[in-house]
Amino acid sequence: MLTLDKLTRRFGDNIAVNAANLEIPDGQMVGIIGRSGAGKSTLLRLLNRLIDPSEGQILYGDTDIARLKGKELRAWRSDCAMIFQQFNLVGRLDVITNVLTGRLHDLPHWRSMAQVFTPRERAFAIQALDRLGMAHTALQRAETLSGGQQQRVAIARALAQEPRILLADEPIASLDPMNAKIVMDALRDINRQDGITVICNLHTLDTARQYCDRIIGMQDGRIVFDGTPDLLTTRMAREIYGAEADEAFNEAATSTAIPAGPARARELA
Amino acid sequence: MTDSLMMGGSAGASGGAPRDAVATFERHRAELRATKRVWNIVALGAFTICLGLSVWISQFYPDRLASGIPRIFEYFGTILPDLQWDVLFEGRTAEGRAVPGSLTFWYTDFRTYIGLLWETILMAITATLLGAGAAFLLCFPAAANLAPAGWVYWISRRFLEVCRGIPEILLALVFVFMIGIGPLAGIIAIAIHTAGALGKLFAEVNENASSRPVEGITAVGGTWAEKMAYGVVPQVAPNFFSYAMLRFEINVRASSIIGFVGAGGIGQELNRVISFYSDDRVLAVLILVVLMVTAIDLISERIRLGYIGRENFR
Amino acid sequence: MSIASLSAVTDDQVAALRQRHPGAFPGAGGILRRWWPLIAALLYLAWSMWAFDFARLLDSSERVILLLRNFVIWQDMGDWAYRQVYVGIAQTLAMAFLGTLLGTLGALVVGFLAARNVMPLAILRQAVRRVLDILRGIDQLVWGLVFVRAVGLGPLAGVLAIFVSDLGTLSKLYSEAIENIDRKQVEGVRATGAGPLGIIRYGYIPQVLPVFISQSLYFLESNTRSATILGIVGAGGVGMIIIERFRAQLYDQVAFVVLNVLILIFAIDWLSKRVRLWAIGERHDP
Repeated sequence: MLTLDKLTRRFGDNIAVNAANLEIPDGQMVGIIGRSGAGKSTLLRLLNRLIDPSEGQILYGDTDIARLKGKELRAWRSDCAMIFQQFNLVGRLDVITNVLTGRLHDLPHWRSMAQVFTPRERAFAIQALDRLGMAHTALQRAETLSGGQQQRVAIARALAQEPRILLADEPIASLDPMNAKIVMDALRDINRQDGITVICNLHTLDTARQYCDRIIGMQDGRIVFDGTPDLLTTRMAREIYGAEADEAFNEAATSTAIPAGPARARELA
Repeated sequence: MTDSLMMGGSAGASGGAPRDAVATFERHRAELRATKRVWNIVALGAFTICLGLSVWISQFYPDRLASGIPRIFEYFGTILPDLQWDVLFEGRTAEGRAVPGSLTFWYTDFRTYIGLLWETILMAITATLLGAGAAFLLCFPAAANLAPAGWVYWISRRFLEVCRGIPEILLALVFVFMIGIGPLAGIIAIAIHTAGALGKLFAEVNENASSRPVEGITAVGGTWAEKMAYGVVPQVAPNFFSYAMLRFEINVRASSIIGFVGAGGIGQELNRVISFYSDDRVLAVLILVVLMVTAIDLISERIRLGYIGRENFR
Repeated sequence: MSIASLSAVTDDQVAALRQRHPGAFPGAGGILRRWWPLIAALLYLAWSMWAFDFARLLDSSERVILLLRNFVIWQDMGDWAYRQVYVGIAQTLAMAFLGTLLGTLGALVVGFLAARNVMPLAILRQAVRRVLDILRGIDQLVWGLVFVRAVGLGPLAGVLAIFVSDLGTLSKLYSEAIENIDRKQVEGVRATGAGPLGIIRYGYIPQVLPVFISQSLYFLESNTRSATILGIVGAGGVGMIIIERFRAQLYDQVAFVVLNVLILIFAIDWLSKRVRLWAIGERHDP
């Protein structure tokens, strides 16, 4: 159970996340929606502690994540994997080494510095890649892959961490519909099969409706909606998205819904 | 109707405008020219004063120059070898004497020179490796975006600046006194300067590296060292290599003159022959030094281009 | 499928995966292949530390302490010839200024002689270039030593050394700048019926002058730095004072002079950075 208690983050005068209260049970698939600048990304980064909170608590079990430092903080990060909109792979390293970086936390110092991994670790990394259908690229440089492939490698890296929570910050915003669907399907499989909690920032509403057990709506740093997809009425969604509503509902380019053809796309526009 | 009237009216009313415009333009031009002329005069005056002071301080007077220049040509005449075509390729005689006028005679100490050139190259390699190693360790704390804390950044930057600021030959002078005459003093002096110069360049490369891989490694729970090793080093390694090779070329030059203060290498011999003899030995050593520097430049360029090419095709 | 975990990977699975993806399991050979440059460098360093007798560093402590003490404890400061020190520094600046000026003037002529698009005579151009290569190939300090032998101790040798090495480098840079100009402007001037000198004056100079000036200013800066050490071979300036005091074992005075030189070097760095920023700012400002 992950509990957020009055979690707040300020950047100067700007409040990016404002007193967020949430309870996320283990094994849920949660989608966070909202227009750009609503604080979705900041919230996710706060959970992984890439950003330090200004106020409030993040509780996982009995530990206050917001107060962790040094070794314990790194242990938390390795438990709480994160994937990014821009994949954040090391482009000049080969794919398998990128996946193996997911193991860094458990490695003795000399092994991580000398980049020495055991055959078992390598086999595990290959298995993770294989699950995403990427094992054949193991020896390529990550930068030679397409965006969708890179995101799948990033998910394999997250799997290599054996995480308890998987955070995904706009995982499909830079992908075409085809790859977006592959990535979202993979995230749902991980959630269903491994029981890993998945918390996912999504820009488009239909994706969130289609994949998530629970949807959280954010507006100006506040949580304004929290419930199952069927509770999210069109009126509510319009309010969350404000001026970006039309884009969020219709923009086929960043959604997993593959348009039937150009004619249909024009009709929708 | 009113529009056209107004237009016509305005045109008529401003009948004097072109003349005004010309006058304004002329006035502006005059002002601009005046300020420009003032600046030119100021610059010229400052230049003349600098020139006058410089000539006076360094006593660079025409009569000194006039008496000096013939001596330069005289000197260059004395260091030319007296080679004779008919005996040019003569070896040593049975008693081990070289025939005057032959190459063997000119390069009597050839073996000594070659030994010293070899020492010079080894000095440059060792100093470059040591300096590049130190620069590599220091460039991460000295990069504004990677330093773990503000004070660490400040200290590493200042340290690199001091290393870079002190001329190698001054450092060598001090080390020769401390640890005695020989190549070791030169190596340490060049290594310190290299650490400073390369450290700054490496840090700048680091500052231009993408932050995304670093963020990725942070998010998997990596330590600071792991963030550097996995997130930064793969991005910057090719640039580091090129810079280190360029520095090696510079260091070969440096180690060929650092012997002037007794810090090893061919410089020691160069200093000796120039200071004590004014004959063909000077030219003999100079030619060898120039050849070595040119050869190293060519080889190093080959290696650099080969490496970069290979990197690009991977 | 059960929850994936590292401990659940069996040896059979490892063996099977190794068979299917042999490249992903490099083993000891792979580690060696990855790290051989580093290993070679370390082996070389170990050897060279032995060859160059790095152990000498350990038993040099006595002299180090002596030198450091002399560097820190300054005695009889009233008797130090301060005037001489600052005249030396002024001389260094003067040498750099004159040397760069002469080098620039020389390079203005030689640069055109070495440029492919100005000098049609290939033999002369190649000859000029080879001479420039030689001038560049010999270090400034060596030129200093040679000129000390030729014209005697003092700043004149230093000015000549700076002049000669600048002539080599600046001429090359200038000729490259000349070769990179826009042909059309030159043709425009030629079309007016100008003679060869007129073409150079109105077709080439306006295009290359900014490059020339910025390169010469940069050389002025770097020459001020290198002129501080030209005196070590006797070619005038503050370096001569350093070496004299060093030979006389007046280490406290050496420390003082070196400190002054370092301040001078850092001041020049700072000043030239300012000037460059100012110049760039000027250019952006219409």
